[in-house]
Amino acid sequence: MTKNEIYPKMSEAIVAGDRDAARALAGEAIRAGLDLLEVIEQGYVPGIQKVGDLWERGDYFLPELISSAEAMKAAMAVLDPEFNRKGLGARMGGKVVIGTVEGDIHDIGKNLVASMLQAGGFEVFDLGADVKLERFIEKAEAVGAGIICLSALLTTTMMNQRRLIALLRDRGLRDKYKVLVGGAPASRKWAEEIGADGYAENAVAAVKLAKSLAGRP
Amino acid sequence: MIVPLLDLVRTRTVLFDGAMGTELMARGLGPGVPPELWNAEKPDAVREVHAAYFEAGSDVVSTNSFGGTPLKLAAHGLEGRAFELNLAAARLARAAAPAGRYVAGSMGPTGKFLKPQGPATEADLVAAYAEQARGLAEGGVDIFLIETQYDLREALAAVRGVRGVSPIPVFVTLTFNSFPRGYFTLMGDPAARSAADLEKAGAAAVGANCTLSPEQMVGCVRALRTATSLPVIAQANAGQPVVGADGTIGYSQTLEDYVRFVPELVKAGAGFVGGCCGTNPATIRAMARIIRPKEKP
Repeated sequence: MTKNEIYPKMSEAIVAGDRDAARALAGEAIRAGLDLLEVIEQGYVPGIQKVGDLWERGDYFLPELISSAEAMKAAMAVLDPEFNRKGLGARMGGKVVIGTVEGDIHDIGKNLVASMLQAGGFEVFDLGADVKLERFIEKAEAVGAGIICLSALLTTTMMNQRRLIALLRDRGLRDKYKVLVGGAPASRKWAEEIGADGYAENAVAAVKLAKSLAGRP
Repeated sequence: MIVPLLDLVRTRTVLFDGAMGTELMARGLGPGVPPELWNAEKPDAVREVHAAYFEAGSDVVSTNSFGGTPLKLAAHGLEGRAFELNLAAARLARAAAPAGRYVAGSMGPTGKFLKPQGPATEADLVAAYAEQARGLAEGGVDIFLIETQYDLREALAAVRGVRGVSPIPVFVTLTFNSFPRGYFTLMGDPAARSAADLEKAGAAAVGANCTLSPEQMVGCVRALRTATSLPVIAQANAGQPVVGADGTIGYSQTLEDYVRFVPELVKAGAGFVGGCCGTNPATIRAMARIIRPKEKP
């Protein structure tokens, strides 16, 4: 298959949430000796972008979004070892540390954002829910992350988003990281008020925001 | 004799209560503490909130048991206390209820997705809601209120779980998002089909709560109304939380702006109205004046 034939099929596999097809096409791309970075950017990523558009229009819902993210994961699982073998990084987006802040056990939205960021080419370190604020910073420092994403679903725990930013400031680390906030009670206004670098209303918007902060198209 | 709630709604609009969590926070509930625990540890605070809503004009208050399924309580290691905490929740609301007023047993989502999106099976959910319903029924609720559901499949499993252990009527609200094509849950269930399926499953009333503003809720009630002959419930949000300079939390929509849609909700076909996030006893008092203008507050 030529690039012109295989790229649309990759995109279609993601849009259809077809894990088997996404995986098989990745294998085919390796065997054909294609430029794998280009395969991701021109084959799979347009698919995930289409899925994002369908979600925003209300044509796709959570089950479709999860299936597409899973298909993307399946393709990346085939491609990643090739990059490692060649000593290259497939995750051009950079590294993201994500979690639901301490005191808050809600993780549905956070999980979705983590999957979509991963599908969008970021290397994601998901700390889970009810994460101590210290842990976000420790992890970000340890892995060399560029972005920290904080989820909070309660009006009580959204305060911890503000506290994390204060904590970074106290340590002189504020400028080292982009801090993104999300969750039902959060808003753009809230992000501005606490001095966060951004707010996203949903998982698709989060990927767009993270990409723009990372300087990617 | 007390008129059953389902008979009362045929004669007039019935008023539910508003938010519980923010009221408990105002009484000292800290982050990370499940509100249901206060049914055992701070019963006076819970009773006080119920009393404030009854005093404001609620016909029905919802028990402090939104996160009271064993699956949800498990996140706090409290799954073994599900029956006890739900029993206490129902008793507290019952104790606060004046004669002729009603108690709804609140049952929120488990937070677990069904397969294939998540780990839960329908049998898991049926069992979880059944356990919660046993405690609420024992404590004397008048109806069950399965609420804020984002997956129709979970809501249907909840109805099955409840009906397996109690003959008390089951009300169900789902939370819908507004799109140009209509109103859909997070999982993509359309409003009309949800109402029809819940009616078939044996729900006694169906409706929508949370997420939507009162203005959007009017359209959602119309969509539900077309699909069911059951009474419709509408409990809208009052905008987004905003944090004041002193750290206190308010909501962005003003009281006047919130309640001015109440007549339209009723006209659209809502038989039960009430508040959700961002509402408080003041909201309910204002709604009561609109719904029952002739009564003295």
